[in-house]
Amino acid sequence: MTDIVLDNVSVKRGASIVLDSLTLALSERRVAVLGANGSGKTTFVKLLNGLVLPTAGRLMVAGLDVARDVHAVRRRVSFVFQNPDNQIVFPIVREDLAFGLRNRGMAKDEIADRTATVLARLGIAHLADRQVHGLSGGEKQLVALAAAMVTGPSLIVFDEPTTHLDLRNRNRIRAVIGEMAEDAVIVTHDLELARDCERAVVIADGRIGFDGCPAAAIDWYVGRCS
Amino acid sequence: MIGSLYHPGDTPLHRIPAAAKLGFLFAAGLALFLTDSPAPLAAAAAAAALLLAATGAPARSLWRQLRAVALIIALVFAANLAFADAGTAFAVLCRLSALVMAAMTVTVTTRTSDMLEAVERGLSPLGRMGLANPAKVGLAVALTLRFVPEIFGHYREIRDAQAARGIAASPLAILVPLVVRNLKAAEDIAAAIDARGFGAPRDGASPKERHRP
Repeated sequence: MTDIVLDNVSVKRGASIVLDSLTLALSERRVAVLGANGSGKTTFVKLLNGLVLPTAGRLMVAGLDVARDVHAVRRRVSFVFQNPDNQIVFPIVREDLAFGLRNRGMAKDEIADRTATVLARLGIAHLADRQVHGLSGGEKQLVALAAAMVTGPSLIVFDEPTTHLDLRNRNRIRAVIGEMAEDAVIVTHDLELARDCERAVVIADGRIGFDGCPAAAIDWYVGRCS
Repeated sequence: MIGSLYHPGDTPLHRIPAAAKLGFLFAAGLALFLTDSPAPLAAAAAAAALLLAATGAPARSLWRQLRAVALIIALVFAANLAFADAGTAFAVLCRLSALVMAAMTVTVTTRTSDMLEAVERGLSPLGRMGLANPAKVGLAVALTLRFVPEIFGHYREIRDAQAARGIAASPLAILVPLVVRNLKAAEDIAAAIDARGFGAPRDGASPKERHRP
């Protein structure tokens, strides 16, 4: 369980306020973040591993102040981006997984072991030596997830992980997220995926519009959109 | 769609260490500019073609990678033919062809991670003197190799979308959306690299380094 505590957190870009005085404490293992396009939900999750820093207020993740200990926070929090093509840096799957571990100065043997373990855990060991450009959308998303998992984070943040996927791959990603040991915060438009979570937060116009159980949050969100 | 530049294989060229291949490419690049004589340059181009053939990569895949550069080389050849003489134009043609095929031989037979490691090791003396950041240079090389095929893919998608709307092919109509799209992708890629801990103090780093923002 990774504790996330936001205390009056705001994010401004120039004159515009992207997130406005959010105060929230999250400790559930699966949290969904819902909201319309441009509502600030991606900025909200980017705060969680320091990709965006608060312009006011304080954000603590796993007991660490994100603004002060961003590198330490990134060791505990991995991020899976919406488009795996922009996340996967190396052309071969095995090389890409090794990237995050090389950044930590890990020895080659250990990198090989951890890479093989994570690929096997996600059932994609057969992709280890495949070229990324030849993979399907679902396979790329699994590789991006493997790259996030391989560094051993306690929390994985997902930005719309099922948006580009067909039904089969969407179900596969849902199952993987459901079964994984790591905690997860998931930005999504996929209401079924949100329903799998223990808690849902709806971001509306940079504020918390609703916070509670997923079924009620989805009702509130759907009502607001109709 | 153009694929990754690396072609997996187990040829003797694949087994040569990345540092040796990069060293050879550097030396060959210098040597090709030491002469203007067509005969040795033609021999160099023929040798480079043989090396490229020895990579074991399918001819179609090699041609897909070569054709855009081939067009540029052809234009340079035509310009030299028009403004210089046939001998000079032939020498330039052979020199550029040899250089491009030698470079392709290296990229086709070398894993990006091996190249990254070789670049980092090669630049480490400059890193110790504070003149370069080997990790950043290595990553720049890796990103170039990874995203050249992606940029070609973006080009094809934009061209297809414009063709579907009846827009005739024009360099400006393609260049503007291509640049915008790649800048947006570059922003996402930079965020992904940050998120994956690049530039963070490594395990075992001194406490002072660990706390540096």
